[in-house]
Amino acid sequence: MEELRSKLAEVLEEETVNDIDVLEDFEYWDSLAILGIISMVSENYKKTFKAADIRACKTVGDLCKLILG
Amino acid sequence: MNLKFKNKRIAGILTILPKRVVTFEEEMGNYNFPEKKSLRLKKIMGYNTHRVAAEGQCSSDFCIQGLQYIFDNGLLLKNEIDALLFVSQSPDYFMPPTSNLIQGHFGLKHDTICMDINQGCAGFELGLMQAFMLLEQESVNKVVLMNADVLSPKVSIHDRNSKPLIGDAAAITIVEKTDDPEDIHVAVKMDGTGAKALIIPAGGFRMPCSEETAIEHEDEAGNFRSLNNLVMQGDDVFNFVQREVPPMIHELLERAGMTADDIDWYMFHQPNKFMLNKLADAIGVPYGKMPSNIVENFGNASGVTVPTCISYNLGEKLEQESYQMCLAGFGVGLTWASIIMKVGNLSFNRIIEY
Repeated sequence: MEELRSKLAEVLEEETVNDIDVLEDFEYWDSLAILGIISMVSENYKKTFKAADIRACKTVGDLCKLILG
Repeated sequence: MNLKFKNKRIAGILTILPKRVVTFEEEMGNYNFPEKKSLRLKKIMGYNTHRVAAEGQCSSDFCIQGLQYIFDNGLLLKNEIDALLFVSQSPDYFMPPTSNLIQGHFGLKHDTICMDINQGCAGFELGLMQAFMLLEQESVNKVVLMNADVLSPKVSIHDRNSKPLIGDAAAITIVEKTDDPEDIHVAVKMDGTGAKALIIPAGGFRMPCSEETAIEHEDEAGNFRSLNNLVMQGDDVFNFVQREVPPMIHELLERAGMTADDIDWYMFHQPNKFMLNKLADAIGVPYGKMPSNIVENFGNASGVTVPTCISYNLGEKLEQESYQMCLAGFGVGLTWASIIMKVGNLSFNRIIEY
């Protein structure tokens, strides 16, 4: 879980991210960030997501649940 | 579909680029995103300048300009052309075929097979495949393959998804018979269930252009476009390419009895730098062998990117040298195709502007 959070932080160009953080509040949250997450997850977790799956998440916690679920 | 050819070669490549250079920054103000976010997109995707046709310039105009240059410079005789292939998604008209128009413009002999092929990102590979098939005939000795697209007018200026990367261009490739019996390995794959991942919804017979289709709507990412505009499901295309292209290349290498190291150049379609680097990682190829500098300099002109990549990165060197190349295209259709062949000792490999 910690590893995933740090990879998400890297994609979003943040120092750290927390489960309660709202995705839309990140400075670089946009379609590029979503593509970055899709790519990172496919490389590291061998799972394929669509942009809509990622958009349906509100917080970092939701995103982690989706990716690791 | 696995195909194999012998005794065919590329004799020359000419890339024709529009003179007009448009920068990312010039268009950034049209997007509904903060500047900081757009500049991050520029950096990660490798966007910078792209070449855009002047108003009224069509795909066929670039082909005619290129062919005229080839005739004027004595690189090919008019009566040597046995087939004229026009691979494009931006024909002059629904009817007649644009290849016939070009044949008529130059008054080429009646014994010329003119053929329009509706293909995009894999248009160079599909065009070469068709050229090789025609060259199996005794009476066909030289095929002129024209890849051309002017799609920039179809992309909304408010679409940050597609506007920064779209480029217009044409390339003319002469394909001919040779005594060299070296095998050419080709793989072509299609998946029409994903046909709508890259589409211009209105303007064909299914949905003619109307006042309604011209109205721009905002998508979930914040881009504005109408049904008359090109639309790309970026996530679907990215996932498709990463899933399908690496195994296709690995299988093709295996069929050719080669390893990834045996290939000198991976000349791939150029969607953006990010995607090409991910592909190089997945295939196991150093970035230096897979150039990814076409989008940043000229934009993505669908099927024209592979010949542009060869002309730009190797230029006249390819007139003296010969390399083992792996060519690949992937996108609209969905279509993905790849070719392993020797390319070199060309009689010309140049870029001109129009």
